[in-house]
Amino acid sequence: MSIADNTTMSRHGGSPLQRASAFFGGPRGIVWARLSLIVLAAVVLELYARLLANPTFFPPLTEVAQSLFDTVLADAKIRTAVLNAIWQITIAYGLSIAVGLALGLAVGWTSFGRRSTFPIILLLYAIPQVVLLPLFVLVFGLGAGSKIAFGFSHGVFPILVNVVAGMRNVNQLYIRGAQSMGASRVDLFRHVIFPHMVPSFFAGLRLGMTMTLLGVILAELYVSTQGIGYYTKVFAETMDPAPLYAIIFLLAVIAITFNEIVRIAERRFTRWKA
Amino acid sequence: MNAPAFRAATDGSSSPVVISVKNVSKRFGEAKSNQSVLALDNVSLDIRKGEFVCLLGPSGCGKSTLLNIIGGLTDASSGSARIDGREIKGPTPDAISFVFQESTLFPWYTIVENFNIALKFQGVPQSEWSDRTMKALKSVGMATFANHYPNQLSVGMRQRVNMARGIALKTDVLLMDEPFAALDEQTRMVLGEDLSTLLAETGKTIVFVTHSLAEAVFLSDRIIVMTARPGRIKTVVEVGEPHPRSPDFMLEPRFSELRNELYALLRDEIRAATAAMRDPVSAPVSLHGG
Ligand SMILES: Nc1ncnc2c1ncn2[C@@H]1O[C@H](COP(=O)(O)OP(=O)(O)OP(=O)(O)O)[C@@H](O)[C@H]1O
Ligand SMILES: [Mg+2]
Repeated sequence: MSIADNTTMSRHGGSPLQRASAFFGGPRGIVWARLSLIVLAAVVLELYARLLANPTFFPPLTEVAQSLFDTVLADAKIRTAVLNAIWQITIAYGLSIAVGLALGLAVGWTSFGRRSTFPIILLLYAIPQVVLLPLFVLVFGLGAGSKIAFGFSHGVFPILVNVVAGMRNVNQLYIRGAQSMGASRVDLFRHVIFPHMVPSFFAGLRLGMTMTLLGVILAELYVSTQGIGYYTKVFAETMDPAPLYAIIFLLAVIAITFNEIVRIAERRFTRWKA
Repeated sequence: MNAPAFRAATDGSSSPVVISVKNVSKRFGEAKSNQSVLALDNVSLDIRKGEFVCLLGPSGCGKSTLLNIIGGLTDASSGSARIDGREIKGPTPDAISFVFQESTLFPWYTIVENFNIALKFQGVPQSEWSDRTMKALKSVGMATFANHYPNQLSVGMRQRVNMARGIALKTDVLLMDEPFAALDEQTRMVLGEDLSTLLAETGKTIVFVTHSLAEAVFLSDRIIVMTARPGRIKTVVEVGEPHPRSPDFMLEPRFSELRNELYALLRDEIRAATAAMRDPVSAPVSLHGG
């Protein structure tokens, strides 16, 4: 109640200073601040590109925007490449989530499982997987398979590790409380350990998203003959930076979209933390 | 004062024994290791139906351990505990519910969901859930917060809800381990009165751990005074006063007499306990005798 009272008060009354601070502190103020920052950065980049930079490496933003429509999106082959990348990422990410969650729950369920397996998982996680990329190509071929596999092998670890970590340190009090009420082992898992793990799982999902993207793109760059990686290479080698940046922009949009989906789901499932 | 709706068994050996603890000892750790702690030493205790029994004693004397053994959350090292004649080997949620010092409401569920899950664990049919939940919440004045998450309540409100959940489970026995320890004094007193009323109305059997002498005297039919670790029963103090109790009871000379008596009993034990912590070698803790 008191929170609602506060906002109505500062919206309709209060000193100009109070109103200003309510605006800048509020959600609308944040959106405006973000937008102005982006616009400012765009203007600075545009001016820098037009006045100071070498246009071979650093095209003005307006040119990038133009090439996004004229070169990149207009080309049916590039469009297909972008769509391919999107579904490869989706499949790799979906696999990462399914396997990461299932394995994580299995490993984290008992302290024996945790102690025997977790150090090995952490060790695997620490390996820079790029060194294995040629092996992936050898096994999964030049097509979508190797990209999905490489995206998966990147995405699965952060999710797995966070699921296991999230199942540790459940407050003993909740366990005892549940047991005293007659909870079975399955009940404990379903109503205590799993919900306790959820926030950590979402942290893993966000990290896993970034890593999946990285894995797929790395594989694209390494082997692609028609994928998004191929085109970035072509544009870079032909000293045509504007469409290159346009493709990078598209990748960023894909990443942000996935991230938003995860964020919305996270908000929905961790409401109790607020 | 109202005529008591139910007269508990301070004198009445007529009421049946509900909880029976026989020669229970509890040792944590291996007997030979120097980490081992003898928490309870040969404790025997009978608790009758409708009785309000307080466990009082210095910190670390094994009150929680005894309560956990009765609740089936901890095994006794030797001796046995029975509820309604059944040997206690694990939690008996149909007969016993717990209220702990900290709220054990799950933070990821709303208050209502917490009650529902508790009733589900206990095996209560779903058709009864909402009725029982709302009744229990109303009894502690928390019905309007049914759809809040525990984190949205104050510590005091949370503990009231926690107590209400213990009530909603409708078990004959309620085990309470310092349920009011985190609350301010006024709230403690109000909840204490509520508890006394509950006892009078339902005839529940309550075993209650507290460090507050006033609380012990105000609530109990019998106060079990325990020695410093290893916990043994030092004395049992009877409080002959019917439930529900009114705050006027605290103004009676008998109230302060009992309180002073308890303090005198405990003072030596607390000194012994602190001495043990300061100088563990010469204190009885390191003696492995059981
Ligand atoms: N799980 C455990 N493992 C090892 N020792 C334990 C364990 N639980 C309790 N103890 C020991 O048993 C003794 C009694 O503990 P208990 O919690 O029953 O004391 P208490 O009387 O409830 O104390 P307080 O009033 O501080 O809550 C303590 O010395 C404690 O160190
Ligand atoms: Mg205790």
